Amino acid sequence: MRYKPPHPGSLVALGIVALVAGSFIALVQFDGGRPTLLSIGPYLTQILAFSVIQTALSSLLSLVLGIGLALALARRRFPGRGMVLAALNTTMVMPTIVAVFAVFAVYGRSGWLISALDATGWKGSFSIFGYPGILIAHVFLNAPFVARIILDALNLVPAEQWRLATAFGFTPSQTFRHLDWPAIRSELPGLAGLIFLLCFKSFAIVLALGGGPSRATLEVAIYEALKVDLDFGRAAWLALIQLAICLSMAAGLNWAFKRPPADHTNRPPIRRPDSSSRRLKIVDAVVLAVGTLFIAPLAVSVLTGLRFIPRILDMDLFQAAATSFLIAAAAATIACALALALGGAVRRQRQVLRSPRTAAFYDFLPNILLAVPPFALTAGLFLMVRRFVEPATAGLALLPLINGLAALPFAYRYLAPRLMTAEERYGRVAASLGVTGVMKLKIMDWPLLKRPFGAAFALAMALSFGDFGIIALFGGPELRTLPYLLYEYLGSYRLDDAGAVGLFVVFFAFLLAHTSDRFSHAGDR
Amino acid sequence: MLVIDKCRLTWPDFRAEYSLTVEAGTLCAVIGPSGGGKTTLLHMIAGFEKPESGALSFAGQNLLRLEPAERPVAIVFQDHNLFPHLTAAQNVALGIRPSLRLRDVEERLVVDMLEAVGLKGFGSRKPGEMSGGQRQRVALARALISKRPLILLDEPFSSLDPGLRRSMIQLVDELRRKRPVTIVMTIHTPEDVAGLAEQMTFVADGKVLASGVPADILNGPLASRIADSISET
Repeated sequence: MRYKPPHPGSLVALGIVALVAGSFIALVQFDGGRPTLLSIGPYLTQILAFSVIQTALSSLLSLVLGIGLALALARRRFPGRGMVLAALNTTMVMPTIVAVFAVFAVYGRSGWLISALDATGWKGSFSIFGYPGILIAHVFLNAPFVARIILDALNLVPAEQWRLATAFGFTPSQTFRHLDWPAIRSELPGLAGLIFLLCFKSFAIVLALGGGPSRATLEVAIYEALKVDLDFGRAAWLALIQLAICLSMAAGLNWAFKRPPADHTNRPPIRRPDSSSRRLKIVDAVVLAVGTLFIAPLAVSVLTGLRFIPRILDMDLFQAAATSFLIAAAAATIACALALALGGAVRRQRQVLRSPRTAAFYDFLPNILLAVPPFALTAGLFLMVRRFVEPATAGLALLPLINGLAALPFAYRYLAPRLMTAEERYGRVAASLGVTGVMKLKIMDWPLLKRPFGAAFALAMALSFGDFGIIALFGGPELRTLPYLLYEYLGSYRLDDAGAVGLFVVFFAFLLAHTSDRFSHAGDR
Repeated sequence: MLVIDKCRLTWPDFRAEYSLTVEAGTLCAVIGPSGGGKTTLLHMIAGFEKPESGALSFAGQNLLRLEPAERPVAIVFQDHNLFPHLTAAQNVALGIRPSLRLRDVEERLVVDMLEAVGLKGFGSRKPGEMSGGQRQRVALARALISKRPLILLDEPFSSLDPGLRRSMIQLVDELRRKRPVTIVMTIHTPEDVAGLAEQMTFVADGKVLASGVPADILNGPLASRIADSISET
């Protein structure tokens, strides 16, 4: 019998499992498996309690403000509404390290708020470190994301149902009950799970704004175990616990996101019947004012960096920008290549080999990567390769790989559905013509894939470009990205310079995210 | 009687002016090419589109002064008639009370109406658990239970197969004979309402080009244009 090589996607799946498992084994075995889980118990309890409390509060506040903003924006049309929506989009792709800068710039010791209060003769004290700073930064990043997703869901309510609501004379509460709430409820489990996961795994924000070792997430604790204490065993245990918690969340997310696709409507929505309610007008005005007062200063603080750009145009900046671009491009290539291979394997398992269980496992693999702590993965891989390469070289090689793996779940969501569609539409024709391999990719898949591929590539680049995670382990004079440079400026209280670098990072991240958006909304040609 | 007199609506890319009279208690079938203005005509009667000029009345009452909820009109669309989180019975009950706080007698009415449209025992099902035809029956039950004398059916059965479509239209005809209502219904092919509709109206380019007894319309001077519009759809 002729040997049939395994599908590249099956090799990718095997590779992902091997990488994750290998990293954990390398960490646990590094110093004989010590310390035990029992010995880190009290510390673990402390950071778990902090993580859960800050995550719950951050998620709750983000959801409440985000849903309120979405409803107000859905009900109201006003001059500048388009700008508000654009601002929401910008905040959605804002790198966390830039959000940290914004919180310092507005609420920090020499920030706008304290300066304004001082000017009024205020003598009190306010520290941004701990819960206040962390909550502000998380809500600043996540509330606009919630608002955008919920607004999109509300816009998908069929126009016919709005007409029916008008014809029935629905009151504002009936409109909410029968039209808004079902749309919100369909998004809520997945959205709440995702926000919880993001806040629970938060790194840069908690590292910079935590204000002490007791105020750490598991991600920060893993980083400190690796970078400060060189305690690989503790890092491994912490990573396993985070993996267990986040995997449960990721499994929940996987289940929650399985809902029927939204129906199309035949006309844009007509005027909402509740938009003329006087009480709702007041509620919406208050929500929009609170949202603006909270988000606008933070967003504007990033723009103030414009003034200081000439000051930072030096070799450090250019090298950091070039490194960031190189790493982001390599990470995007890795993410898209792996997503294509994995999507191809899922398609083959589901539609050709009729093996839905294997297909479901492959399909779930990218979500596992959402749960794996990148520090544990990096440290494990580093331990495996450290005998062969210098730390800086290892960092340069590992950064695109880890960032690529981190972007894989997002790239996969863009590409896998299109691969399935291509097979459903043309698979039988291709099989009957004997078109396989690269020709199949070129003739059958690529015409449908090229736009989502562009979207996935740009998004993966945007995510990697603004990332301040793994670079915190390897960063230094030899290896510096733009987010790392920003962190260095923040660390040395050069807030103006940090603002200018932050503006660079946001500009490019937004440009890449916008490119991704354009690709994902463009029709196939 | 429904009277539409020179009702004009203007958009940047489309202009419509309708004049039409429909006798009370009749089934008026509206036919015409896609994009010709059939749905706009129904939306104007329902109050979703406001004409810039002209007059619109039903049973002597000026409809233009009334908001959609105040008009004596019930409407069934082609899709999305039902709220997916509500059961069939609750969807029908919206036709009586949007608050869904029904009295016992009203609950009984809902059960009876579901039975009348052939959905006895389906009250607790949600739209996702029903076929396309069953969902449209629920929408029809809601339109009828609202006791509004003018019912607008905007291609309500066009997504169903021809056999089911015909049986649904027969159901509409049976129900209207039990309770006198005026029905204006947009359709794709005249065969769907053959022998049932008392009036047929041909709408194209945003205008009522002909209206009268179906046989006269189908064999009149616009016969070839009507045939073209049928083959086009």
